Amino acid sequence: MNSAIFSRSRLALWGGCLALAFALPLVLKSGFIISLLCQIGIMAVFSLSYNMLLGQTGLLSFGHAVYYGLGAFATMHLLNAIGKGGGPLTTALLPFVGGLAGLAAGIVLGYVTTRKAGTTFAMITLGIGEMVAACSLMFPGIFGGEGGVSGNRVVGKETLLGFTWGPQVEMYGLIVLWAFACTIAMFALTQTPLGRMANAVRDNPERAEFVGYDTERVRFLMVILSGFFAGVAGGLSALNYEIVTAETLNAHTSGVVLLIAFVGGIGFFYGPIIGAILVTVMQIVIGGMTHAWLLYFGLFFLFMVLVAPGGIASLIVVQRALWQAGLLGRMLPHYAATALPVLILLAGLVGLIELGYALLTGDAGVGAGDTATKVLGMQLQLGTPGPWLTALAVTGIGIVLTRWIGGRLRSEWNATLATLHGDKA
Amino acid sequence: MNVPAIRLQGLKKNFGASEIIRGVDLDIHRGERHAIIGPNGAGKSTLFHLISARLPITSGTIELKGEDVVGLKPFEINRKGLSRSFQITNIFHNLSVFENLRCAVLWSLGYRYSFWRRLAGLKDARLRAEAVMEDIGLTKRRDTPAGILSYAEQRALEIGITIASGADVILLDEPTAGMSNTETEEAVALIRRVTEGKTLVMVEHDMGVVFGLADRISVLVYGQIIATDAPAAIRCNAAVQEAYLGTSLHSGNDHE
Repeated sequence: MNSAIFSRSRLALWGGCLALAFALPLVLKSGFIISLLCQIGIMAVFSLSYNMLLGQTGLLSFGHAVYYGLGAFATMHLLNAIGKGGGPLTTALLPFVGGLAGLAAGIVLGYVTTRKAGTTFAMITLGIGEMVAACSLMFPGIFGGEGGVSGNRVVGKETLLGFTWGPQVEMYGLIVLWAFACTIAMFALTQTPLGRMANAVRDNPERAEFVGYDTERVRFLMVILSGFFAGVAGGLSALNYEIVTAETLNAHTSGVVLLIAFVGGIGFFYGPIIGAILVTVMQIVIGGMTHAWLLYFGLFFLFMVLVAPGGIASLIVVQRALWQAGLLGRMLPHYAATALPVLILLAGLVGLIELGYALLTGDAGVGAGDTATKVLGMQLQLGTPGPWLTALAVTGIGIVLTRWIGGRLRSEWNATLATLHGDKA
Repeated sequence: MNVPAIRLQGLKKNFGASEIIRGVDLDIHRGERHAIIGPNGAGKSTLFHLISARLPITSGTIELKGEDVVGLKPFEINRKGLSRSFQITNIFHNLSVFENLRCAVLWSLGYRYSFWRRLAGLKDARLRAEAVMEDIGLTKRRDTPAGILSYAEQRALEIGITIASGADVILLDEPTAGMSNTETEEAVALIRRVTEGKTLVMVEHDMGVVFGLADRISVLVYGQIIATDAPAAIRCNAAVQEAYLGTSLHSGNDHE
């Protein structure tokens, strides 16, 4: 049975991941990397909690940031209220309070939202999300208005085993511990009667009713529990950034968590973790390189929806199946052969996007094409056709090559899949 | 016991202006196998939907084992020991055969909405699901997702989910619809086996199945029951023959 939570292989996997998470900052000492890792940990918990609804219960929520944001605000206010009277231990436990705030919000809001599933649920969550976001700007005393609420996670003079959580690397350790505890708890939940019935309600609510389950109750409980974990993630974010703004509970944050879960793969428990790593890295690394990163992210999301709707996790699962069937070797040369034209295509597209972006938003304003502008590290005359034609030509070559080699990859892929499924039958 | 398993009195159902069930009075005895037959559009499936609370009734009463169950929700009726199958296969498509059956037994074993118990540790749920899986002959398909089973296997699973909770009143809606002759024979044997000692009500078009399985038969025509009797008496009933004009109640595979 692979359903044991602490089977030997699973224990090894959990342990390995925990060891890796703690080892990373020893190797990668840059503050940038550690901040990045902190953000990944927080987003992993947040998107896993989101997938409790979308992947496991079949509930598409457009307002999940509400639980995250309320958890963050509750944590921040309590942190400030405790102030000098606290210590590192109380600070370390504060995300639990964030979780309770998320849970309470889940009880209140879930009571309204879970009456219906499907489109109705999605619409109600959208409405409630907007309502809470609007309220956050109406009550600046609680939500801090535009500036948000800030605090200091280092309180008191004592240390906890030498930790004050002040340095980012210590905060990272705290995030790892919370993220692991939450991940294990959320995984364990999938292996309980409620977790399984959530799957049943997702697959066929009518049937679930006719085997004795109140589907509203199942959805309600899942929203409450999911709200708890989202609240913990929010609490961690409050401690990590030491500031909570109204943006943490608005529609943008709700949208990001949806994209993360989807890109990672909602059909798999660990999918959202992959999504959190990928999207956070993209956001920070590509976001640091170009202002147009949201455009790239949008294109990437579009690509995933069209090519791999099961998310990255589904791609990994297929590759593993191929590997176990001894067929991966057959595909690898084709993957490698396809990489080159795709890179050419990407280079061309990036060139076009950056040129266009520079032309429209350049320092000198629209139409400043006569002076040399720095694009992709090169000084280019945007007013001359040269750079544009080059980028267009590279894109064109990329498209032709990708279609040609990609077509061969596809036919080989289909043949390999046929062999794979033929073996199974 | 004299309290019938199901008692319907003056049951009516309108969809807008059209009356679909026009006053049904029917007692289903405990432990009997009762078939409901009738021409297409007579309201047989609607009658099932009313009894199982999938649709609200317009007027009349429904008693389950002597208890008024009008206005209850489907899951509440299920918890009172009535379980049903569907004409169009209604299973958990992404879950394995075993998980389908385990979901079907969880409530009756009292695990409710527990999120502090491990499924793998629930021995009684596993044993019961495995027993049903053996009963319906799907043990070798244990880990196959229900959505990719063959049609006949899905129908067997549908029956399995229906009986797994141990409900003592079973409603089967066209359990053999769309099956080949061999599959139908197997399905009949299966139904006979798994409803032993229980009350069975079924809607069925296949007269071979009906006359082979049923202790009593009710004939529903245009929302009213025109006869309820033992199979032999139904065969000779003039009103029934009238309703089935031009079709034979004697043929083994009658789909009018």
